[in-house]
Parts: sequence; C-alpha cells; structure tokens
Amino acid sequence: MPNLIIDDLPIEVPAGTKVIEAAEQLGIIIPRFCYHKALGSVGACRMCAVKFLQGPFKGVQMSCLIDAQDGMVVSTTDEEAVAFRKFIIELLMLNHPHDCPVCDEGGQCLLQDMTVAGGHSLRRYLGRKRTYRDQNLGVFIAHEMNRCIHCYRCSRFYQEFAGYRDLGPTQIANRVYFGRFEDGQLESPFSGNLVDLCPTGVYTDKPARFQGRRWDFERLPSLCIHCSLGCNTIANARYRAVVRVEARFNDAVNGFFICDRGRFGFPYTNQPERPRQARIDGNESSLEDAVAGAGRKLADIAHRAGPNAIACLGSRRSSLETQGLLNHLCQLMQWAEPDYFLDPLLKKKVKSAISQLDSRVAVSLRQVETADFILAVGVDPLGEAPMLALAMRQAQRKEATVAVIDPRPVPLPFSFEHLAVPTWEMNGCLKLLMEEAMRKEDEKSAARDRMAAEEGWLRNNPASAEIRRQIAQLAALFQASRNPVLICGTDIVPEATPAVVGAWARSLLEEKGKCGLFYVLPDANAFGAGLLGAANDHAFLETVGAIERGEVRALIAVESDPFERFPDRSRLEQALAKLELLLVLDYVPSPMVQQAHIFLPTSTLFETGSTFINQEGRIQIAQPVYHGGTPLSQMNGGGHPPRVYAGGLPGGEPKPAWQLLIDLAGALSLAIETGAVENPLSLVASAHPLLAGLKNTSSLLDGVRCLPDVADAEPVPADMDPAVGPGTENELQLLFVDSIFGAEELSQYADVIRQVEGEPCLYMHTQDAERLGLVEGDRVLLTLDAGAIEARVCPSQSMAPGTLVLPRRRKLEWQKAKSFSTRVTPDRIEKLK
Amino acid sequence: MTNWEPVLLANVNRPNSEKIDTYLRYGGYEALRKALKMTPDQVTAEVKTSEIRGRGGAGFPAGVKWGFMPKDAPVKYLAINTDEGEPGTFKDRLIVERDPHSILEGVIIASYAIGAHRAFVYIRGEFFLGVKRWIKAISDAYQKGFLGKNILGSGFDLDVSVHRGAGAYICGEETAMLESLEGKRGVPRTKPPFPAQKGFWGKPTLVQNCETLANIPHIILRGGKWYSSIGTEKSKGMKIFCISGHVNSPGNFELPLGTPLKEIIYEHAGGVRKGRDIKAIIPGGSSTPFLTAEKINTPMGFETLQAAGSALGTGAIIVMDETTDMVEVVRRITRFYVHESCGYCFPCRIGGQRMLSSLERLAGGKGSKQDIEDLEYVAKGIYGRTFCPMGTGMAEPVLSGLRLFRPEFEMKTAKN
Ligand SMILES: Cc1cc2nc3c(=O)[nH]c(=O)nc-3n(C[C@H](O)[C@H](O)[C@H](O)COP(=O)(O)O)c2cc1C
Ligand code: SF4
Ligand code: SF4
Ligand code: SF4
Ligand code: FES
Repeated sequence: MPNLIIDDLPIEVPAGTKVIEAAEQLGIIIPRFCYHKALGSVGACRMCAVKFLQGPFKGVQMSCLIDAQDGMVVSTTDEEAVAFRKFIIELLMLNHPHDCPVCDEGGQCLLQDMTVAGGHSLRRYLGRKRTYRDQNLGVFIAHEMNRCIHCYRCSRFYQEFAGYRDLGPTQIANRVYFGRFEDGQLESPFSGNLVDLCPTGVYTDKPARFQGRRWDFERLPSLCIHCSLGCNTIANARYRAVVRVEARFNDAVNGFFICDRGRFGFPYTNQPERPRQARIDGNESSLEDAVAGAGRKLADIAHRAGPNAIACLGSRRSSLETQGLLNHLCQLMQWAEPDYFLDPLLKKKVKSAISQLDSRVAVSLRQVETADFILAVGVDPLGEAPMLALAMRQAQRKEATVAVIDPRPVPLPFSFEHLAVPTWEMNGCLKLLMEEAMRKEDEKSAARDRMAAEEGWLRNNPASAEIRRQIAQLAALFQASRNPVLICGTDIVPEATPAVVGAWARSLLEEKGKCGLFYVLPDANAFGAGLLGAANDHAFLETVGAIERGEVRALIAVESDPFERFPDRSRLEQALAKLELLLVLDYVPSPMVQQAHIFLPTSTLFETGSTFINQEGRIQIAQPVYHGGTPLSQMNGGGHPPRVYAGGLPGGEPKPAWQLLIDLAGALSLAIETGAVENPLSLVASAHPLLAGLKNTSSLLDGVRCLPDVADAEPVPADMDPAVGPGTENELQLLFVDSIFGAEELSQYADVIRQVEGEPCLYMHTQDAERLGLVEGDRVLLTLDAGAIEARVCPSQSMAPGTLVLPRRRKLEWQKAKSFSTRVTPDRIEKLK
Repeated sequence: MTNWEPVLLANVNRPNSEKIDTYLRYGGYEALRKALKMTPDQVTAEVKTSEIRGRGGAGFPAGVKWGFMPKDAPVKYLAINTDEGEPGTFKDRLIVERDPHSILEGVIIASYAIGAHRAFVYIRGEFFLGVKRWIKAISDAYQKGFLGKNILGSGFDLDVSVHRGAGAYICGEETAMLESLEGKRGVPRTKPPFPAQKGFWGKPTLVQNCETLANIPHIILRGGKWYSSIGTEKSKGMKIFCISGHVNSPGNFELPLGTPLKEIIYEHAGGVRKGRDIKAIIPGGSSTPFLTAEKINTPMGFETLQAAGSALGTGAIIVMDETTDMVEVVRRITRFYVHESCGYCFPCRIGGQRMLSSLERLAGGKGSKQDIEDLEYVAKGIYGRTFCPMGTGMAEPVLSGLRLFRPEFEMKTAKN
C-alpha cells in the first residue's frame, strides 16, 4: 500500500488509488471537471493539476491520471499548479455565457464555484464566443449547449456507462457538440442522471426548471419507492410542492445514479387531484368525524357479523410503520391478518424468495456490479427494477458473462445470452444449466444427452438446438466463474423458481465459496409485506370470494388500489359494491378512493418520512422533506402572492396512514401502546425477530440489512411443475408484465411519465406473428374473457415462441383478462384494418 | 554535393514502379524470404542493431518498440500509420503511391518479428490514389503468396487490410488512430498503457510509420550494421526530407541523417527563390520550432536539431525567405492546429481559440501589446500540459515565433 504526502499530510492508500482520490480521503478536494468516481479519469479538463515535488513524477501533473505511489510528495496549493488551474478557468469562461442569473444551474454549478474560487473576474479575451443551437431532448431534460465546457461526462455516462447511443459528441475541435443526431426524446431511461452529472447548466431538469435555486429548497434524504430496489434520493421541495428529485450516493444500493422513473415519478404528491379531505359517503368531512364514523360502523359490523366480517388490504408501497400498525390493529381486533397480495401465487413466491436470503448469499445492487457471471431468471430488469440493468451492465463491462432465462424480449443495454424459453420451461432450463455447470468434466456430455431426453421439456421448443448450444457454452463459463450472482424475478416465474434459485445459490456457495443471490420483488416494500404478511396462503383473491359470499362485509384498504393489478375489473367492482363499508386510506386519487364509503387522506413519504425494506432486506429511511399542504401554485388560482386568510395549513389534512390507524384504534376504544404513538417503529420491531434492529433508528440512515446469518429457506416444492404447462399446439400463453414507464402505479400520475410511456405493444415471436399473418405495426383486437382490447403488434426474434407479452398499462384495460395468467387461442387475435 | 545512392526512393522513378512485377524485378520480397528463414528474435535483433528511429515524428527507436511487444500474448496487431497530416510533410504519400510494396514487405517482416497475424493500414482519407495503390498492392501480394496463410511455406500467416481515415489530423496520433480504427471518435487515449501493451481492441499493437517500415527490408538484406554505419551518432540511416516553401526545387530528397540543412536547401533544393536571404526555417514539420538562418549549418539529425532548439519531427523542411511576414505564418499554422484540435482537452481546444483570436487581430493590424502578452501567456499555459503532444505542437510555433521574431509582432501593434 503506497504511502505518500499530500499538502504535508501523510496518507496510505490501496495500490491503484489515484492521487485525486487519495487527497479526497484527507478531506482535500482537488478541483475537477471531467473526473467522476463512477466514470473514471480521462484527463480532459486539466483542472486537477497539482505539483509533484518528490517521487517518480515531477512538476505539474494531473492528479486524476496518476496512481498514488510510495515516496510521492504532492502540493495542491503550489503556486505553479494554482496558476495553471486559473489559466484553465479563464479559458472556460471564454465561451461560457455570462448569465448565471438566468441559468437554472446557478447555485449548484461546479463551473460557477470554480470560477469564483479561482478568482477569475476580469475578461481579457476580445474575440467572439462560440455558440450553438440547442436541441429539444424530450420531456425530461432541457438542453443549452452554449454552457458546455466539454468535460465529456455526459457522453461517457450515456454511452459507456449506461450503454445508449443516441446522445454523444459530434464534430471536433472547438466545434464539439453534445446532443442527438436530431431533436427528440432521449432513449435512455437513465437520462436524468445527465442533470446531476453535467458540471454546468447544459442539461437541467426540465419539469423543475425555474422553480427555485438550490438554497430555496427544503432538501432532505429520501428514497425512491417506484420499485423494490429502494434507490437513495434527495427530494427538493418548495412552496409546498416537491419540485425535484436527485440521486443520492449510496455505496450499497444505487451508487451515484437513479432511473428516470425514480427521478421524474414523484408528482403524485403534488397533483391537484390528490384527495386531501376526508369524505363520508362522498361528502367532505373532518378527519375526526370520518375516523369516528368508520369506528362506529366497524364496531357495528363486528357486533352483528363477528370479527371475520372485516377484512384488511394492506399495501406493498406502504411504509413499514403503516404495515406494522395495520397488522397490529388486526391482531388487537381479532380480525383476519391483512392481505398484501392479490394473487396467492405471487405471495408464495415473494415469501419463498425472502426466506432464501441470508447474510452469506444476499448481495447488494452495487455488488452485482462486481460479479463475473450473472444468471438472471425470469426478470426484465428495465421493466421491473431499472437500476438493476445498469448494475448488470457494469459487470458486463468488466467482462462478466450475463445470461437471462426469460420468455420476454428482454431489452438490456449490453450484450448478453438470452435463453428465451416459455415460463413452464424456465425451471427445466435453469436445472440443465446448473447441473451442467456443477458437473465434473468427464460426466458431461453423456449426462447432457440423458437429461435432455428425460426432461423432454426442450422437445416442444423449436429453438431447442440453439438453447442447448447456449447452455453448453454458458455452463463452461459458469464453472470457471469465481464470483457468480444469481438474480431471480418474482413476477412471471413459476411458483418453485425462487426456491430453486435459492437452493442453487447455496450449493454454489459451498462449491465456490462465493455466490450472490439477488431477488427482484414487486414494489418498494414487498419485503416488509412478505415478512409481516400472514404465514398462510391467503390472498385478496379469496377475500373477494368471501365478499361475494357475504362473509366479509367491511373492507379496509390502506394505500392499496387493487384496481391496478386485480385481473378482473368487473368482478372487483361488483364485489366492492356489496360491501357495507369500504374504508379507504390513501394519497392518490385511485378508483378505490372513488368507491370508498369513508375515505381518510394519508400523507406521502415526502411529508411523513418513513421506513422501507428493499428487495435485498435493507431497511432504509426517508426523511420528512416538507410539511405537506396544497402546493402554493394550486391556491388562489395560481395568483401570487397567494392570499388565504385562515389558520392552519391549507390542504394539510392528510396524516401518516399509521397515525390514522392509531386514531381508528382509538375510535374502536382500543389503546395502542403509548410508545407506538411516539415511535411506530418500536412496535414493528417486536413484530418480527429480523426487525429487532429497528429499535435503533439512528443506524438506519445508511441502511441496515435485516437478514439472518443462515436462512431458514423454504424448500423447493416437491412438485416443480408450473401451473401453466404446454397447452395445445396452437395456444399462446399471455403474460402480463411490467414496463419501465406506464405500468408502475405511482409514477403514472406524473404527466411527463405518461408522455414517454409510448404506445403499449403486444409482443410475440416473429414466427408466431407470421403464423397469424401479422407484421410489425399491425393493430389487433385481442379478445379476452371479459372483452376485447386493442394493441399494436411488435414481433420479436428474441423471445420465446408460443408466448404473448402485454404490459400492464393503465390505458390498456388488460383487466379484461379475468385471471392472472391466461392462454389464448389464435382466433382471439383479430387484425384490424 | 554528396551524391547518395537512393535506398528508399530507388524505385519511385521507374516506370510502373507501383506494380508488384516491377518490385520483384529489382529484388523485391527477397528480404522477406531471408527474414522468414531467421527467427523472429533474430529479425528484431537486426532492427535493434540498425538503431533506426521512427519516422512518424516522435523518433522512438523501432527495435526497442518491437522488443516491448509481449512475447506470450496470443493476439497481437500491427498498425501502419499512413495518415501523414503534418503540414509540410509529403514523403509517405510518395512511397505509398509509387512503391507500396516496399512498405508492405516491411509490414510482413515486422508482423513476423512481433508475431502479429493481422495488420491494418490506416490511411489518410484524402489519399485517393494511395488508397487504391495500397489495396492493389495487398491483393497482388495475396496472389503471389506473400500474404494469407502459410506465407512462402514458412507456416506464418498474415492478413492485411486498409482503413481510410475521415480527414482528422489527430488520427495520425497513434492512440487516436487506434480509436478511429475501432470505429470510435478519433481522440487520443491515456498513456500508459502504451499501444504495445494495450492497443487495438485492447491487444498489444505495434504502431509504425510507413517510412519506418519501408526501411526494414533494406535492414534485413544488408544488415543492421550497414544501416547504423550511415548517419550521426544518434540518428542512423537514410531519411526522406520533404522541402517546400521558398526554394527553387521543392520536393522529396533521400539523404543520410545528419546531412546539413544548408546542403539540402542549397544543393539539393536549388537554393532560395530569387537568390534571397532566408528568414526562417521549419526543419521538421509545422509543429517544430522555427530556426533562423544562423542555424543553417545544423546537421539534420534528432540530437543535432534538438541542440539547435528545434526537432527533426517528420523531416519536413519549410523555408521562408526574407520577405515573409512571420506573424502571418504563425497565424496560418495556428489556424491549422486550432481547426484540427480533437476537441478533447481544454488547453488545446480553447487555448487555441484564444491564441488564434489574438493572432488574427495582430495579423490584421488590429492587435495590441495586450494581444502579444496574451499570446505568450496562453502558449506557455498550453505547452507541455495537454493530454497529447498536439497541444504542445500548437504552442511551439507561437512560442518560437515570439522568441525569434518578437519585433515583427510588435511592429504590427505600432498603429494601435
Ligand atoms: C498530433 C500528432 C499527429 C501525428 N500524426 C502522425 C502521422 O500523420 N503519421 C505518422 O506516422 N505519425 C504521426 N504521429 C506520430 C504517431 O503518434 C506515432 O508516434 C508514430 O506513428 C509511430 O511510428 P514510428 O515510430 O514509426 O514513427 C503523430 C503524432 C501526434 C502527436
Ligand atoms: S454537456 Fe455538460 S457534461 Fe456534457 S461535455 Fe458539456 S459540460 Fe460536460
Ligand atoms: S431503479 Fe427503482 S428504486 Fe431505483 S430509481 Fe428506478 S424506480 Fe426508483
Ligand atoms: S492536445 Fe488535447 S485537444 Fe489537442 S489534440 Fe491532443 S488530446 Fe485533443
Ligand atoms: S479532473 Fe483531471 S483532467 Fe479533468
């Protein structure tokens, strides 16, 4: 480990550390523009010049390019180095517009900081500035190329780090231009990171433009709850509205970046349609009256029909506090435990996945980047957990092999091996690959033939020869790997898959001494729901049956909108109509809220601050960023200054859902422990042994994992056969899936997200499309059990034949399907003229 | 005048000099036959003995560079630099157009020595004829069994292909050339790692100028000792000098390194036009510092020119007579570099803009003392502090122009 001296301070750093990093460890921040920890050193800006006084290098050199070495003596304040940095700053200001007051970056601009710090204030250059035309880069990012200092951070991130090609440098010399070949929406779903990365105001957050300077904002650490990864964010609020979300560095989760769904998906908290007032039978009421009314009704129903007539539906997007209090309330009232899942199958898969994780195998998102072999089963990273795609790409850039077993056309921004088998063949395919990879050299080929013959699962697959070739090739690479990571989805996979993958991870751990296990779960707090949810197989689907049979008469839905995912809309509507009481607590104007007999408005995580467990089992907290209330821009017709002559916070009725549950308990004459009122987490901490760590909240700021040392893993079900086996020759399996934009509940309330979600497509294998006489772009009418829906056809070579894929877009009414997974015959697909 | 039997340019004036038959008639590919009977190490040793230094501008000893190529790497490449973009330089073009096989023979021998089975010719896009000649030479060599599988029964395989540049000067810089060859933007890479460690597609790659390679067959045939007997202490062998500017007979002259500048200008290039005096000489391409007429006796060698305050560079001599406006010369050269900066690092890209702005005012008679000060301040700031040597090459003419001809710059500001 090299020892060196920087500005008279000695430091020892690991070999390979750049001098700029070594200085940072001493708290000395050497100025830089092009260098970025995630993007590496390129030596373009020459801003990090320091003077090497002793050691293998001498004189003014770039600290981002030189590895720390023994015997170096470095000065960052040496006159010559300072003069050179000043020289660079002056050059940058040659072309830069002198209009910080009208630039949205002002106040958070590295160039501004450096210019002021460097003391450059007098213009000596008499020539003309070079100027550019700007482009329209779509709804997320504004473009002002004149502000560019050509540090190449944007193109390095966009092309090299993230793997998209539609933005980059063109031209040479002083004419270099960063943009697209023509105006248009940026294709990368990680484009928002350009805003954080660009050291000047070329790329700014378009929806947040001119909403305030950084110092105007209430800014606090928050979390993204638009998927299960739990990326860390910073939320910025002003005038009672969240204005902007930025990425927050977390070395164990998202690193420096977040996806565009996470960055631009927050407006649900501001929207004018947000229900902020309690309602009884459609009429606004005070919160107290509504709570009291709900309490009376519930008591009455329980009195008449017993506690089992009351059912609760919790939510996987609710905080741990809310989930915990809902559970607690049910316990106290002797109601049935709340449902967190609509589909019992999904519940089983999530619970099984969680049970597989322990501190030996569970890896963080960042650790996925270090894998040398990644096998992903039944997961579409961009759709279900976008940042996972970026992490996998980082591994692939370091020459990891990536293989994906999935029937969908999985779009990933890098090259990988796609084993496109239908869902019912996924376990077989996985088994074949793993057994092949774990097998000794001499047993191999014989066993392979035997396997394929016995299994028979490949027989129906026309691509079987190709898949067999892929498996043989991958198995060899797998065997050679030292740090494999298995990734497993929980959405479209057969019931047994999470357990199968978990079991393989443990075998590999034994064999190689190292193997990572990474699940993708449905929604931000699915882990909490899985941990706290009932041990049995009960799910909301059964509750609907019970309502229909008249057994359940009251339903309490807490921040949960079953209309999003329940596959039979009219059945749900009819069932809800039978209820004596539908009590809904939520912060979005969901269809459930519209149907509620009594509605209680809840606050969002930006207002409350709350705790979530991500898919890795990491407990993280979001802090309350602002106090809530109707955004000022929505008051007084947007007039300024807003004049409201009333006490209190306008629109400030909503309360944290857990708080309302405590109030409801009060209305039911039940006393919740006083400690819980102060700190709801104390109650959650005793709800599950793995959550004991919650008692110490200060440790949660950086996140802590709640995992056992050794998992008490649910075994692989004896019957590995998936529910949907091969049907008749012509039938196609219809899968409903997630997609990056337009299928996630909360982000869909954002205008910008709806603008980019694009038209929903029905994906099918090219060969199936040919059989049906369809080509790219054709419109079809797909008749489902409860009616027909229209979609555009997208044939794809890289997906499983015999499978149809349809994203669960709100605008599609896919809920006409009536069941969670379905098969359709070709005659149900009718081409539209 | 010392008359030297030409070595590199022996063929170029023969009719149909570019044809493989002509080349073969005058002993072509004999060196290859000889080399294939030697071990690769012996070939490299011979090149080391010759002490030949690269002719692309940097003058790195070729044999040493070959020795850097890792022996155990399974995949290695050779890249032939025919991008010749430095103003004043037109020697590579002559060899490529008139005697491509002499380079190709060097390519095959070099590939054999370093164990490369794939070589790429990177050629300047504007060399239309050169491209055709390269392609023809390569396909003829395949036909005759000098390329492809099992060359001349030796068991050695080599494929060569041609890649055209798209007109950027920076793509002559070896690492930018490799980027361009990979289909990316022509921007230099960080060194280290040097191309010999991590080059084309990350594999060890030898980059060599085509004049350098054209010497190799002669070194093999006549021996490294013969080659090192020509020239000065640190500059061995024959060199093609390109002379242009105010001389009576501009052109390419092949002479031993160490030939005095005076002899080249007055005996080979026919002296200065209209018998005028010389004001300035650029000895090695436009990025090398100016010399004044006092230095006319300097021998044209790496170390001798360095001692005189300039560099051998590509050996491209530009002569300027007493009537030349040096401010205008500096402006023109600077304009070229500013236009051709790859746009990657800040000092070169923007510093150039700032220098040019001052130079345009000065040359246009609108400059001031402040412009001269600025010019010097910026050129010194750029010098030695850019990502690749091009920035320094841009600063050199400005700095040496100011050093040697400052009064001319000041004259221009007299009015203001
Ligand atoms: C800005 C710049 C431009 C260059 N252009 C050329 C060129 O056009 N042709 C060339 O052979 N070498 C050129 N070089 C030198 C190459 O980088 C490299 O040193 C050379 O090709 C190595 O071959 P050699 O050792 O045979 O000279 C250039 C270098 C720089 C810095
Ligand atoms: S647009 Fe921004 S990030 Fe990109 S090169 Fe210019 S200053 Fe750097
Ligand atoms: S990957 Fe998921 S958690 Fe991360 S920013 Fe995107 S939606 Fe949010
Ligand atoms: S000095 Fe910098 S900008 Fe100029 S050519 Fe080299 S890398 Fe490009
Ligand atoms: S930070 Fe080192 S050159 Fe830009």
